[in-house]
Amino acid sequence: MTSVFSLAKMRFVWFLFVGVLLIAQVPSILGSYWTLIALNLMMWVAMTQSWTLFSGMTGYISLGHVVFYGVGAYVVASTFNSIPLWLAVPMGGIAAALLALVVSLPVLRVRGPYFVILTFGLAELVKFSILNLETVSGNSSRLLFGAPSVEILLYCMIGLVVFATLTTLIVTHSRFGRGLTVIREDEVAAATVGVPVLRYKIIAFTVSAIVPGMAGGLMALKSTYFEVLQVFNPIISFTVVTMAIIGGSGDVRGPFLGAVFLVLLSELFWTTAPQFYMILVGLFLILFVIFAPNGIAAFLDKLQISRRSG
Amino acid sequence: MTEILISPQLAFSALVLGSLYSLIALGLNLVYGTMRLLNIAHGDLIMVGAYATFWFFTLTGMSPLVGLPLVAGIAAAIGIILYFSIFRRQLSGIDRVERIEANSLLLFFGVSVILQNTVAMMFSGSPRAYQFLDTVYEVSGLMMTGNRLATLVIAAILLTSVVLFLSRSQYGLSISALIQNQTAARVVGINVSRLQFVSFISGFALAGIAGALVSMTEQISPFMGFPFTIAAFVVIILGGLGNIKGGIIAGMLLGFVEIYVVVLTSANFRSMLIYGLFVGILLLRPEGLLGKTRRH
Repeated sequence: MTSVFSLAKMRFVWFLFVGVLLIAQVPSILGSYWTLIALNLMMWVAMTQSWTLFSGMTGYISLGHVVFYGVGAYVVASTFNSIPLWLAVPMGGIAAALLALVVSLPVLRVRGPYFVILTFGLAELVKFSILNLETVSGNSSRLLFGAPSVEILLYCMIGLVVFATLTTLIVTHSRFGRGLTVIREDEVAAATVGVPVLRYKIIAFTVSAIVPGMAGGLMALKSTYFEVLQVFNPIISFTVVTMAIIGGSGDVRGPFLGAVFLVLLSELFWTTAPQFYMILVGLFLILFVIFAPNGIAAFLDKLQISRRSG
Repeated sequence: MTEILISPQLAFSALVLGSLYSLIALGLNLVYGTMRLLNIAHGDLIMVGAYATFWFFTLTGMSPLVGLPLVAGIAAAIGIILYFSIFRRQLSGIDRVERIEANSLLLFFGVSVILQNTVAMMFSGSPRAYQFLDTVYEVSGLMMTGNRLATLVIAAILLTSVVLFLSRSQYGLSISALIQNQTAARVVGINVSRLQFVSFISGFALAGIAGALVSMTEQISPFMGFPFTIAAFVVIILGGLGNIKGGIIAGMLLGFVEIYVVVLTSANFRSMLIYGLFVGILLLRPEGLLGKTRRH
């Protein structure tokens, strides 16, 4: 295993380990404001890491990642006080994975623009279906009293980040992961050389839904107030894609870099000038796609190489 | 119930909405068909057109109808800037269609966010409206406001002239050829990049005009564009991506379906209907309801 893990990746695992320990100290050292920010940051890392597991590897850009988050949140909110949380949150992940599995067969048949728009449309369809369901049953918003503290949610979210990151690391260096990469480069050629294209895509799509499902469940507990339009907001999908692109979607470090970058940027500008912040996000997205399509991660590598040779 | 269904009032509303959808989808189709760029900022160009019309009208009193060429020019100017700063490089530097589609989606998303928030920063996020041509005309029981009638007439004129241009003139035929097969078009001596440029800014100009028409009848806000983008994508996928005539027919179809379903059920189902229709069609007939099969 170590032979395929490059030195940089091994060092990354150490960084991950130390970083996780540090973030776990945030509640006791920096207080509640920073605990909330740490929770948000970890949520975005988990979401983006799980997105790259499917979309980064196969090159199928999904604009519907929020649907899994929303389904997880919905499961936790609708079973609140009737099912213990340690069971409800994983159930959210399983429900999201089941949804992914059910829709994967028809959805993964289409490619390119059709796939992009279809994932977006499906997420919206699920959103409006659940919204109508909630309105009909008279539950258009739910209050969740007595949810665990933000601190505990943060520890759970850190666990999710570690889980998502290790999954990506293991998949990247497996036969399965290489199969997915070949699908991205040339799907027809992949099928010709014997990669079980459809099965690989379905597995990756399903697995990538587990983490956002559980993250959605945890975040529903954070806000103590559940609203369908909020947890299914398409902005979440777009933010995830932006973070992946800025950080680097083909690299396990990418989601960390992208999420830290955007969360810091939003800390600086969101409260004082939200529109200016959004303009910056748009500008950075464009600049990265044109000049650094492999994100900050690739940029760091380049920096290191030039330093070593210089 | 049947009285509602055969009422000319409803048919007129559907016709106005459908022609607007067709016009919006036409611009999107031109850009996708000739360049494979997925313009998810299309609705935001509509928003820019609407704001330009609004300000011309409230500041100088210029009639939105007189201002149409001007608004088209503003939208086209944005297109020109984007073409030379971003998209020309994308088209010449990348040869794989999948890559161009994926990149353009991300780039246009950036453009969309920038346009929305720049307008929100300049003119605040609150909705605005103005009154123009809102006298009601009655023709044998059918009530029409002047602005809706104008929307229908202008959209119909534009749609007809673009279709005629694409199918009759030498230049338009070259664009049609380019949409059908880029490699073959290049082989027979068509100046591909020039036609792409022309189609790109025409698509933007059409979006600007559509925005001017929308602003005559509806409230405008910096974030009004997104629903139009989605409607336009639903329409061009129904009609088959890159299929110009299919898109126009599908636009009318969506207008009628939307108006009649909302009347028969409730306005709550509007979004579900659009997305349900969209997902259903994509799953059953990925090549589009009216489209010829076109895979790459």
